[in-house]
Amino acid sequence: MAEPDFEAQLTRLFAEPPAFQDAPLFNAEVAAKLDRGWAMRRLFIGGAGTVAGLFGAFQILSTRFSTEIAQLSRNGGHNLTAEYDAGVAKINSVLTTPASAEAVWLAAALAVVALAFAVTRIVEEL
Amino acid sequence: MGAQSPPTGHDVELAAKAAGGDRQAYGELVRRHASAVRGLLRRLGADSATADDLAQDAFIAGFEQVAEFRGEGTFAGWIKKIAARLYLKKVKREARLIFSDTVEPAEEMGNRDASSDAASRIDLDDALKALSRGERLCVSLCYGADWSHGEAAEALNIPIGTVKSHVKRGLDKLRAKLARPEEGARREAHG
Repeated sequence: MAEPDFEAQLTRLFAEPPAFQDAPLFNAEVAAKLDRGWAMRRLFIGGAGTVAGLFGAFQILSTRFSTEIAQLSRNGGHNLTAEYDAGVAKINSVLTTPASAEAVWLAAALAVVALAFAVTRIVEEL
Repeated sequence: MGAQSPPTGHDVELAAKAAGGDRQAYGELVRRHASAVRGLLRRLGADSATADDLAQDAFIAGFEQVAEFRGEGTFAGWIKKIAARLYLKKVKREARLIFSDTVEPAEEMGNRDASSDAASRIDLDDALKALSRGERLCVSLCYGADWSHGEAAEALNIPIGTVKSHVKRGLDKLRAKLARPEEGARREAHG
């Protein structure tokens, strides 16, 4: 048999896949592994999104507090103590007044959820 | 609620859908090509359990990388390359003496059905058993996974001349083995 003929025959023999009786089981196992991997990925992305959201919310709240401190520094020449007391009172009023505190924490929670959702969607799109 | 029908279409279309996260489309690709990948891994020299584990790993890795498949070659060729690379990685890790001249008894390729092509496949699988590990690996990579001699040499980290000589010796043995049934049939016909 000529070499090219034999090589063609060999290529053809290799190209014929054997049939496996347990093929459905094998396919199901691959599908299950893919599902597990996908679930883990979603869990990881969701976790990462929540952490990012918490970090963002913390940054928002700290920035708000820093702004108050900066305002106090600018007016420091006048009546530092009075301004400081007023600033602290203002922050306290925001955080302790039942309605205001609820609004701030609700906004923070919504920010966390929104950021988690946004990060999840962005990562999934990638 | 009725069962969903399996996705249809060309492999390239299914791969594009899979790249968008469609696991059903990828499942169809697995269904179409699993036997080829499992068979190749056995022909490379893996035992049944290892071959199936590696085949599963190859399909999982394939799903992660399916966006890289752009349809330049066949999907079967692409996924077979992934599987072959996984097998070579495992073989290297276990530091087996692949390129010794010893001929190891290979495991029977199990669970096959009795289709019309079964005889020729058995011939090939039986014939492959006569090859050394190195010959079997080189021949199966070049003819089963469609690797070039250069690709095989690079993946195996051996000179290209070594690959060529293993392929040549392997082909000589296979030719002798596969020619025998034909000669036998001829003798029967004339006798």
